Amino acid sequence: MLKMKNINKVYQTEKVQTHALRDFSLDVEEGEFIAVTGPSGSGKTTFLNIAGMLEPFTKGQYLLDDVDVGTLSDNQRADLRNQKIGFIFQGFNLIPDLNLYENVEVPLRYRGIKSAERKRRIENCLEKVGLASRAKHLPQQLSGGQQQRVAIARALAGEPRFLLADEPTGNLDSLMARQVMELLEDINREGATIIMVTHDAELARRAPRNIQVVDGQLADFTLYQSRPSGVVTPANVAVEA
Amino acid sequence: MFIHYLDLSWRSLRRTPLISALMIAAIAVGIGITMTSLSVYHMMSMDPIPHKSDRLFHVQLNTMDEGRTWTTEDNLPYQLTYTDAMNLYNADFPERKTMSMRTGFSVHMNSSEVKPFLEGARATGREFFAMFDLDFVHGASWTENQQINASPVVVINQELNERLFGGENSVGRQIYLDDESYEIIGIVKNWEIHTKYYDLNNGAFNRMEKIFVPFSLVVSKELSSWGNTNGWKFEDVRTFQDHLQSEQFWIQFWAELDTPEEQQIYSDYLRTYLSEQATKGRFERETVQFALRNVNQWLEYNNVVTEDNRVLVGLSFMFLTVCLANILGLMLGKFLRRAPEVGVRRALGASKRQIFAQHLVEVSVLGLLGGLFGIGIAQLGLWGVRQTYSYYSALATMDTYMLLAAPAIAIGACVIAGLYPAWLVCRTTPAIYLKTQ
Repeated sequence: MLKMKNINKVYQTEKVQTHALRDFSLDVEEGEFIAVTGPSGSGKTTFLNIAGMLEPFTKGQYLLDDVDVGTLSDNQRADLRNQKIGFIFQGFNLIPDLNLYENVEVPLRYRGIKSAERKRRIENCLEKVGLASRAKHLPQQLSGGQQQRVAIARALAGEPRFLLADEPTGNLDSLMARQVMELLEDINREGATIIMVTHDAELARRAPRNIQVVDGQLADFTLYQSRPSGVVTPANVAVEA
Repeated sequence: MFIHYLDLSWRSLRRTPLISALMIAAIAVGIGITMTSLSVYHMMSMDPIPHKSDRLFHVQLNTMDEGRTWTTEDNLPYQLTYTDAMNLYNADFPERKTMSMRTGFSVHMNSSEVKPFLEGARATGREFFAMFDLDFVHGASWTENQQINASPVVVINQELNERLFGGENSVGRQIYLDDESYEIIGIVKNWEIHTKYYDLNNGAFNRMEKIFVPFSLVVSKELSSWGNTNGWKFEDVRTFQDHLQSEQFWIQFWAELDTPEEQQIYSDYLRTYLSEQATKGRFERETVQFALRNVNQWLEYNNVVTEDNRVLVGLSFMFLTVCLANILGLMLGKFLRRAPEVGVRRALGASKRQIFAQHLVEVSVLGLLGGLFGIGIAQLGLWGVRQTYSYYSALATMDTYMLLAAPAIAIGACVIAGLYPAWLVCRTTPAIYLKTQ
């Protein structure tokens, strides 16, 4: 589904060349939930940005559903991003003067979805994150956890196959972080592929697959066969079923 | 999507009311100044009779001795002598032609109800009304017999009819012009033209006459010209009869020529006519010189729109450019401050084109609002122009075309000013802002 082969990303300034990613290769299968960890400045966010087509890579090959991303124009990348990828950010990145309904509506408008269908999806997504009754509220009228749930609803509204989350719980207290994580796990269980960058080792352990990025390279690769008790993953759902 | 962009624009304006008001004010002032000068220029330069301006021809004849010069670019006098005007008028071709001259009277009703007042009048042929599209509300032009017999008849316009008779049908009633009684035989609509193209002697933008009398009255009543009378040689003019027989120029002459063939026939006729007149010894010239100029050529020939007017319009557009430069700076600041939001929109699937379009719609909304306020400022400016000199009263107005042009120019100018800021913000790399918001 997502294949990266020898991806390099070099930031070039007048005097300094910074290699954010070096020969980074990764295969992600449909329905996976991957936690990406690593020290600050290791290239986790760069990887996520490239995966989300938010910035170009310098060298290598990136296939998303067999589409060679490197050959696409900016507008084609925007279309593909809009149709297949949902983003969740650490800072929520809700648009402050749009209410919750309108915030969730943003990606749907860019996709050209008709008003009635937009309404249906937005109400479903807000319902899913437990904020349907607050659709007319502005983001600043919500707590941090609620804002992140709106951001998740916005990411889900486009019914993306990929959900890219960059430190989704980084600005939340532990209780809210757990609630957000449970929400992500539910979403993954429903079929979405999730790649989550996190510094939180406990959250990372809840993901079935962990990858570690160090100095722009894939350092380690762990598939958790045993999971912490009480945590539901696609694998043990299948077992329990 | 356009409606959505309009909604976003409106929200953006409300989010930064002060900077938005500053931008709208800058556009409004720029547009107001520009539209003030442009409106005057537009009124000055517009075709006064568009549907037939290419068929009405002003006639100029050179009936001076060879070597004599005139103040015009081609040495042709603006007007004709009485002899030439009458000869051309009495010719068989073309069907519609007229001589005319500005004169004037003291107008009264021979009663104490209306205070006498001086009023300009036009002495002309009976074809004048049809040629220059003056529509009759009541009555009609004088008959050929009335014209030949110099009957004391008069056509007045609605405005004068309103003043003297309260607007009722006054055909058949009498008015006094100087000390003579005249019968009103027709009432024409007020003449709504901005340029007095049929007689540019006393200024192109003076008011049209409200009184029209048969040209034959000029001779019978010895009416004096209220326009220009020019001579090119010494003549001992002592009596009105001397004046009529002199080589002085004081009459305007127009001919309606519907086709190029008619123009050619008339040109040939004028060439022959001038040769005959030279043969008769009226003047000594070997080369025949005359001109037939249609309405727009006549206005151009008389420099009705002066270079000063064009410079003024140019300067006002430069002022608009300065306003736009300020707006560009403000837009740049406003749009770039919004880069993080643009980053989010890009991440959520907005293409560069969509971001660019969103911002262009926003600058268009600014332009529209600035243009609407600009119309208000332009109205104020035009009012000021009208107050300075009544000469400009008909010119210093905005017609529908200019009212529509104001917001269109404002939007166009703002879009041009907004292209760079919109282009810059649509090139925002989303990744930069998503982490730092």
